[in-house]
Amino acid sequence: MPTRPLVTRYEQDLRLFEDRWAQAGLALWVLVALALPFVASDRWLTTANLALIAVVGAVGLMILTGFAGQISLGHAAFLALGAYTTAVLGERLELPFWLAMPCAGAVAAAVGLAVGPFALRLRGLYLAIVTLGILFLTSHLLHSLPELTHGVSGMAVRMYAGGSDAAGEALRFSTPWRLGPVTLGFDRKLYYLFLLLAAGAAWLGKNLAHSNSGRAMMAVRDQDLAASVLGVHPARSKVLAFGVSSFLTGVAGSMFAYQQQYITIEPPFDLNLSVQYIAMIVLGGVGTIFGAVAGALLFVCLAPLMETVGGWIPFVADLSSHQRSTLLFAVGVCVLLVVEPLGLLGLWLRVKRTFAAWPFRY
Amino acid sequence: MKGAELELRGVELSFAGVRALRGVDLTVARGSLQAVIGPNGAGKTSLFNCISGLYRPQSGTLHLDGRDLTRLPPHRSAGLGIARMFQNIVLFEQLTVLENMLLGRHHLFESRWWQDLLWTRAARRAEVRHRERVEQVIDFLHLERYRKTPAGILPYGVQKRVELGRAVCMEPRLLLLDEPTAGLNQEETEDMARYLLDVKEELGISMLLIEHDLGFVMDLAERVAVLDFGLLIAEGTPVEVADDPAVVEAYTGMGDRDD
Repeated sequence: MPTRPLVTRYEQDLRLFEDRWAQAGLALWVLVALALPFVASDRWLTTANLALIAVVGAVGLMILTGFAGQISLGHAAFLALGAYTTAVLGERLELPFWLAMPCAGAVAAAVGLAVGPFALRLRGLYLAIVTLGILFLTSHLLHSLPELTHGVSGMAVRMYAGGSDAAGEALRFSTPWRLGPVTLGFDRKLYYLFLLLAAGAAWLGKNLAHSNSGRAMMAVRDQDLAASVLGVHPARSKVLAFGVSSFLTGVAGSMFAYQQQYITIEPPFDLNLSVQYIAMIVLGGVGTIFGAVAGALLFVCLAPLMETVGGWIPFVADLSSHQRSTLLFAVGVCVLLVVEPLGLLGLWLRVKRTFAAWPFRY
Repeated sequence: MKGAELELRGVELSFAGVRALRGVDLTVARGSLQAVIGPNGAGKTSLFNCISGLYRPQSGTLHLDGRDLTRLPPHRSAGLGIARMFQNIVLFEQLTVLENMLLGRHHLFESRWWQDLLWTRAARRAEVRHRERVEQVIDFLHLERYRKTPAGILPYGVQKRVELGRAVCMEPRLLLLDEPTAGLNQEETEDMARYLLDVKEELGISMLLIEHDLGFVMDLAERVAVLDFGLLIAEGTPVEVADDPAVVEAYTGMGDRDD
């Protein structure tokens, strides 16, 4: 393992990828990510798309819960708002995706900013209950506006690319692209779009983590009285966390709608989904963007992985594929958290420490 | 006498019948170190909480350099120049020493939230500029080796120093010190005294000090105020106060007061 470079300027200390080794690692990841759609089967490409959606949603929740310390059970509500905004805008206005996605984020952010002030008076479990209420309210609202959302029967999500063809029909995103011998179908195009969005969300989260606004959130999380004595406005920090978090979550909801192509209210936008997102950030390690990204990727990929692995284990192989993945998933998560309470972040820190000290043990 | 940095007039604070402060008048001269002493429960920490805006007094006024602090929330008082060290260390344990101290400069940051989020040039420049100032304080308090250590795992004496550093980073006019030597050993106490004097002399920050170590108070403070049951019973130079019969009565219960 190489030694760390000598830092001689403060700007160097602020870089995301501080030395050539980190940059090389990044390049490797980018290559793998770019090549994936051409290597993976359809099943794994779908899984990858779902994982990238989860990354954006988990970064959103990490900013709210991990940075600002505000526990939310209403995450699914913001996802639902994003998804339905996208679907309605597509159906009514034929809005292209690159306009509909920011709109979805904005609608979710507006609701997030409206909920934020509740967090000024409530904390911990009490806030969790209020956000749970937001989830029920949202679900009720979506059910009671059938002229927009088509109620329980759900609605199709049309993804427009913007512009129209010779016949005057609006262009669909699903039209495959042919670049010489390479064909980019709907899933592959979606994958590259989602990859960009997931990277963008992680970048925003990382920026927040090492900037003044993000530090203020963490100060409010750890000691809100001391934070206010230091000049941090606790209400502003909490409301900012709610706003940024719900914007990203709305975008994640929008991505989900496009990926599913047909959405209903419940499932998927129920308490179970909120809890899944909390599980992702705990699994990854609360308080860091690394935790959000790693947790989301692992959480989404673990179930199909376990379905495959389960086939090789005696007795477990006799179960149905759904039972297999549920059983092994549950066992895997429990083992991970017992072995390393800090989640994947803890494992990663251990690996890093081992290599930093190599060939010595510490 | 130089002008007044902090001026308290008739500050009254009570909690459901308990009168924590009864009409306290107190003045801290600019650039001076004023101590507040008194037995347990005398109202010293309540007084600090009023000044930093955590409690709102029922009546009376507080002025910092002529500006009214009486009804300001804590973060506004901090912006006007009040910094504080807590009695029981209140650091952000999961953040590094550097991050803790940068938080002290939170109210001085020029970058807006969207600039932070997009990591624009303005955000980067603000970060570097404030890092430079924080490094000066780190140098001043000899905290170089702990820069990137999470504050929660540092030894107690170092944590106290980090808390002082975080307060100094705020570039305050007035520093409130609530028992800065509580729990420190002899050597650490002497170090702390030297750091406090350095901060006062070199940075010109006025200080209000609560302390139980009377030797420490007598050596450092220019003036001493004595609180007992929320009442200011004496004020003066350390020597005057030490000989005041009311003070002896308050501390020992054996004074020769006639009441």
